[in-house]
Parts: sequence; structure tokens; C-alpha cells
Amino acid sequence: MKQLIKDYLDHGISRRQLVSGLSALGMSGVAAKAVAQNLSPLGPGAAEAVAAAAPVAIRDVEGNGGALFVAQLKAAGVEYLFFNPSTGDHPIFDALVDVPEIHLIKGIQEGAVIAMADGYARASGRTGVVVVANIGLPNAMTQMVNSYKDQIPLLVAVASVDQDALGRDQLQEPDHPELMTEPITKWFWQMQSTAAVAETTRRALKFAATPPCGPVFLSLPTNTLEQRAKAQVWERSKFDVPMRIRPDKDDIEKAARMLIEAKNPLISIGDDITSCRGEKELVELAELLGAPVAGLTGGLGYWSKPFPTRHPLYVGALLRTMRYPGKPDVLLNLGNRFGEIASPGTRLISIRLDPTGLARGAPVDVAMVADLRLAMADLSDAIRSMAAASRLKAIADERTARAAAYSKQMHDEREALARALADSTPVSLERLGLELEANLDRDTCYVTDADSGKTMDALMSFGGDDKPYFSTSPNVLGWGMAAGFGVKLARPDVPVVSVVGDGSFCFSGPQPLWSMARYKAPVTVIVLNNHSYNNERNRIWNGAGRQFEAARDMTCYLGDPDVDYAKAAGAFGVEGETVKQPDGLRDAFARAKSAMVEGRPYLLDIHIKREGLGAVSEWYPPYSVADLRTRKV
Amino acid sequence: MRAALPALVVLAIAAAVAPSRAQNANPLPPGEGRDLVAVACSQCHYLGTIAKIRDGAAGWRVYVDNMVLRGAQLSGPEIETVVNYLALNLGPGMNLSPPKPVTLPDGAGKDLVETRCSVCHDLERVAVVKRDRRAWPLIVADMAAWGAPTTPEEAKTIADYLTAHFSD
Repeated sequence: MKQLIKDYLDHGISRRQLVSGLSALGMSGVAAKAVAQNLSPLGPGAAEAVAAAAPVAIRDVEGNGGALFVAQLKAAGVEYLFFNPSTGDHPIFDALVDVPEIHLIKGIQEGAVIAMADGYARASGRTGVVVVANIGLPNAMTQMVNSYKDQIPLLVAVASVDQDALGRDQLQEPDHPELMTEPITKWFWQMQSTAAVAETTRRALKFAATPPCGPVFLSLPTNTLEQRAKAQVWERSKFDVPMRIRPDKDDIEKAARMLIEAKNPLISIGDDITSCRGEKELVELAELLGAPVAGLTGGLGYWSKPFPTRHPLYVGALLRTMRYPGKPDVLLNLGNRFGEIASPGTRLISIRLDPTGLARGAPVDVAMVADLRLAMADLSDAIRSMAAASRLKAIADERTARAAAYSKQMHDEREALARALADSTPVSLERLGLELEANLDRDTCYVTDADSGKTMDALMSFGGDDKPYFSTSPNVLGWGMAAGFGVKLARPDVPVVSVVGDGSFCFSGPQPLWSMARYKAPVTVIVLNNHSYNNERNRIWNGAGRQFEAARDMTCYLGDPDVDYAKAAGAFGVEGETVKQPDGLRDAFARAKSAMVEGRPYLLDIHIKREGLGAVSEWYPPYSVADLRTRKV
Repeated sequence: MRAALPALVVLAIAAAVAPSRAQNANPLPPGEGRDLVAVACSQCHYLGTIAKIRDGAAGWRVYVDNMVLRGAQLSGPEIETVVNYLALNLGPGMNLSPPKPVTLPDGAGKDLVETRCSVCHDLERVAVVKRDRRAWPLIVADMAAWGAPTTPEEAKTIADYLTAHFSD
């Protein structure tokens, strides 16, 4: 699809060919036409669109490429530029001297810069704009994987060498760095001229923010930033056409009929709902049907928890075989990229923003490309129009009562299990989960890339009026702290807590704390310090290989040296403390809260009990470089 | 033996969305509750590791409780059924594979290690690598708490033996 769109925008194919091509990829006719419609201002005919536009929205600007880049960002309403500088991109930062509307947010490692922008984009719904050093691109790409897999809108730009130096094996210049980003971007481009800077920047913003969203990449040769040209800059409204695709009416009616007639429907939910701001419509649809709602555990296609986890219809993890509510006769997948599960006797309805994810691994009975909010609203309307209210109520009441009994039973059971484990030292995840639930404000944004720490999720309340949840699907570590900063930037008026493992802390390093300290970001960082890649060891040992047989953890123990994360935070200007006993948690939370009230970040290094296969072992393969020496130098 | 299976988040995804792999081969020994274990546990991970673990009821309960906290759909009575099955059929000394031959150094406690530890796992697990001196008492205490058939005095003798012969 990416290539088709590129060909269309490069005037290589006509609108008709674009529509045909999209249809051949499996997109419905309605959706393909909508895509073509939305791309039209940038494709063939753009000149006419410009002529018809209101003059105030389109301005001629003259300046160097850096100024044109910044002018187009400003016209598009970009508020923040996340960056780490390099020499070649100086025209961008020179231009920003006189553009106070765009605030610079500096990170001191490119991965952290991307994760900050990613967190900001997830929490704000806006595009994160990033400029980093050319040679730092591979660092940035580690976190761009999270953005790409979760379809988060980012514009990532670097300044490369002058055009006439490209390909000459210059210092720090790999050939075609933009190609490195191909597998993890929606679109990538190397700027061809200064005159094209504004238009290409516009195009990049458009691609990043057009659902299904994702990162785009621009390589900006330094001379294109330094030379001068005259170009138009457009306000966002002139090129940002929302992709609110209404589903086909016949498909909606077919799906509604299947759901009305279903004896045991199940709803699988995913992040497209969050992207479309469809949380309210989801609750309405689920309650109308009395259908149990499940989400894949671990975050795959489900990083945002768009349905309240304390709702009576929420039954937890989507499993291949659901012992409750039993085998569904109709599975309704709402926006989950992995929510299509094939099973004999189960008919599958799947609605996705992303046509490439539809019917990808399972045969689908009704498939729709649509905005999830509109689709769920239409589905609810169709169901109401096709069945008497009394009949629907009777069906929903009976199912809801069963689901509520199950969800309450499991909630009570899990809480009792957690309480039984609450007094262990080091602190159990179960105790910490209970304490967080009791101590965090209900509107706290909960940002996490912890792996073992997801045990706590079932003990806490997320979604709806409870804590907004932010995570990533691919779980590329090193995201959580920096993303917590980005979330706080987007939502300064609610508390933000970032929960990361000690493994994640070491992946990102303490660099995100530097940004928190510099920009006075009141975020509480909680490091779940179990001195191990705990879940990694469990997964490895679960294969029952030689490490398991011989009880030798060759790979995952982190406790030697025993890193003092609070001390590391102090070195970066963030106050923190270590908590080793469960009884110390509440006072520590209170101190963290006070720091946030005062406008300061705070870090809690909480020593957590390791769990699982080989958990008690602190052995690792011994080796000493010092012992290799024949001279004591 | 100390082991649990709480790290199954990613495995859960793989099991839920990928074509089933090795799910048809049930390596668990027969016994009441086997089918429940097979269904409830195989949603998220393979059964092979379970079949290789030996633990007492207390140890198995830790694993099962952790699974329920992570999403396993087991009611309170079903948890009891699962724990009972595991403790009865995969408890110390039950359905063991032939051990790998390991020769231990002589010393007080050798006999206890050979007779107590080997009811749950091969002695290769204790007799090859050297661990920190502080580690062995903790590991042995852990084993005892999870169901290893030892008295407190025997556990101390075992820990002293292992510390003497398999510590840095």
C-alpha cells in the first residue's frame, strides 16, 4: 500500500489506478475511495486545491530550508520539537530562535528522544516531531519499532551531508541512511531541494497522521537546509483530512444480525478504539449486547486498555480457549491487530482501521475497514433498529449477570491471592499492585514497559474513569521512563507514574531523567528492581533446555553489580530513594507525591521479589578480565 | 525444585494467535485433574516444563496462584484440583525420569543430598557450579518450604555440605 500511495503522489499512477490497486490489496471499494479522496490535496490536482484555498491558510514564505521546515511545522500547529542536535541541522535551530511557538524538548540519547515523542503522541493524539543526529539514527530506530508496531504518528528527521557529498563515504555518512528506516516507517524520503522542503515536510506530517498512523522519516541534506528558496506553507486543515471512514451499511447490518442472533458472543478489543477515541461507543455496544469483553494480555495490539477493567463485562485476557464465557459462536474483533482468532464453530467479525491487518491470519466472515468509533456507533444503531428494545434488554441482562458474577469472582479471588503474598521481602509484585491501586489518584496516567510487572495489572483499575494506561505492543525496552515524560508533557494536569523494570532502566539508561530534571517534569518513576531480566529467564527456562536442566542462568541475572537506581537518579538531578520493605511503600509514595506537587520528578527504586523458574539463583557465568592480565596495568 | 511459570505473557500471545504448536501432545501423567490442567495451562504455555518439574503442594500452589493472577481462568475449587493433581502426580519422587549419573564428593550430608534432592531433580543441578556461600542456605530453605522432604536439621546439613563443596 505504501508503494501505491508513493506512486500516486509522485504522479506515477492515476486516481483510478490507486483505487484499483487498493482494492486489489483487499480494501473495500468505499475505503479505497476514501483513501484516494483524502490523498487528493497532495496528489494530482494539488495546484487547483491551492488556488481554491483561503489565502490566510496558505502563505508564501522565503528563507533557508531550516526556516521553511520550521515555518511548515508552525503552520501545522506543531508545539514541540523533540531533539538532540547535530552540526548539519543548525538551520532548523537557528530558525527556532525566532519562533517561540515551538518549544524545544531536548533528550540526551536518540532512543529517549523518540520515546518521549512517542509518549507525547500517544497521550495527545498529535504527531510527535523529532530531529536527531544523522549518525544517531540507529539509536532512534530502537524506539521507532515501538511506534511503528503501535501505529503512532511520528515525524523523524535527520540532517545528512550535502547532496554533492552523498555517496563519497564521508565522515559518519552511510549510503542511503533513509533506507535503514524502511521496515519501520510508513514512508521515508530524502529531500531533493530547498524549494521542496515545506511541501515534503507537509507530506510527511500527512502520512504520519493519516490512519493507520505511524512513523515517517526525512533525511535532510545540509545544503537543502542552508540554501534559500520561496515556498508555500499550509495550515494543517489544508492537508490533514481525517480518515473517518464510515463502514459499509450492508456490512454493518450483516454484522448486527449475527450479533443479535449469537448465543454466546465475545468482543475482542484493541488499540484502534483508542486511536479513534471510541471508548464511550465501545461501552455502549458491549452493554447493549451484554457481551463479555476481553483483551490480549501482554500488550499486543492492546497497549491502551480502552475498556474499563473494572467493568462487569470485562473478563480479562483473550485466550485461545475461553473457559469463561465458553466457546463464542460469534467473535467480534474491534480494532485489535491480533484479535482475529480462528476456531471451528466461531464466526468472526473484524473491524480494523488498518486494512493490512484484516483477515491476516484467520478467515473472517465479515471484515470492515472503518473508523472504530463510527463503526461501533453504527453497529449499535443497527442492532437497536433490528431488534425490539425489550428483547435486547432481556438478552443483555442475562448475559451481563453471568459476566458480572464471573468477573467479580475472579477479581475477589485474585485480590485474596495477592493479599496472601503481601508481606514478603523483597516486596512482592502483588503487594505493590495493591498499594499502587490504593495510593494512586484515579486519574493517574500509568505508563509502563515492565514485563514481569504486568502481574500487577489485574489488581489495578484502568480505562473509563480510572487510570489511563500506556504501554507498547512490541515491548522494546527503554521506552517507559522517556514515554512517561512525553505523557506528562501532553497531560500536565494529571499525575503521571512511569513503571519500569530494572532491565528497562538499563536499556534507556538514566538519560530520560535528565530531561525530566531540566524541564521540571513532575513524574514518579518506579523501578521494579528484581535484579534480573526475570520474565526473559522464565521464558527461556520454560523451554526446558539445558539452562533449566542444569539450573544455570547463563543470561539473565543482573544483580552483580547491584545498581543503585536512586543514586543514579541523583546524579541526573532527580531525587529518589530505595524501598526494600513492603511497609515502606506508603511513606515512599507520599514523598513522591509531595515532590510531584512541588513540580519535581521523583524515583523509587523498589526491590522486588523475583518469581519463577530459577528465581532464587543469583549465579551467573563467572569471568574476570582482571584475571586475564599478566601485568597489573 | 524451585520453579514457577509466571512469565507467560508473551507466550500467551503466541499461543492465542499462532497456529497451535505441540498442543496436541499432552506429556502429563494420568490422574484426576489432568484434563483441567491441560486445558487451563496450555492456553499460555507449553506443558513440557510442567512435566519436568517436581514440587510439593506448597510449591505448586505458588505457581498456580501466579498463573491465576496473570490471567488463567481457574476458580477457587479448580485451583485446588490443579494443585492436588500436580502435587500428587508431579510431586517429589513421582514419575521421575532416570537420573543422570553424578558423583558427589564425600562428606557429611552427601547421603542426604543424594536421597532428598534427587527426588525432584538431577544432581547436576547442585553439583556442577559453585555458588556464593550465602546462596546455598537460601536455596535449600526454599526447597524445603516448597515441599522437599527434609527436616530442618537435614536441611541445615544439606546446606552445610553444599556450601562446603560447591561454594567459591
